[in-house]
Amino acid sequence: MNMKHILKILALLVVVAATWITLLETSVVPHHYTWLLPVYLVVSLGCYGLLMVGVGLMLFPTCPQEAVLLQKDIVEAKEFFGRRGVDVGSD
Amino acid sequence: MELADKAVGFLLTAISISIFVYYTFWVIILPFVEKDHFVHEYFLPQEYAILLPVFAGVALLSFLCVFVGFVMIKSNNKKKSA
Repeated sequence: MNMKHILKILALLVVVAATWITLLETSVVPHHYTWLLPVYLVVSLGCYGLLMVGVGLMLFPTCPQEAVLLQKDIVEAKEFFGRRGVDVGSD
Repeated sequence: MELADKAVGFLLTAISISIFVYYTFWVIILPFVEKDHFVHEYFLPQEYAILLPVFAGVALLSFLCVFVGFVMIKSNNKKKSA
């Protein structure tokens, strides 16, 4: 699974490099615009990373009702062990 | 706390989308607009489209290196004192 991912990324890089070199060689577009392409790709990658971090922070899943249930379970377990003489410490 | 995280996440998303849109417009679309169009007033000359990201990247890299160095020095000191 991981290996495939690396291969995909490598293939993408090769395709981009090939496109860029062809653009440089054939000079369909003026040269100083062609030089902008890798910089543009790097900037897009940075933006994508920032976007993913932002979306992940925004949609971070929390479950407050589960937290309440867990606290209830803890209290119950402490009571149970306290009745049987096991020391589980105070709150 | 949760709300602050959400706000930071929203801020990051907004910043990344606006940078992407602005840069795309600057690099991809602007070369096709005539030289005397009023839109050109809102953008720096084309050379800055390379200079600014390179400068930002170098600044980021140096900051990361300094940060990692500081952390390494700190952990080294802790090991010695312990």
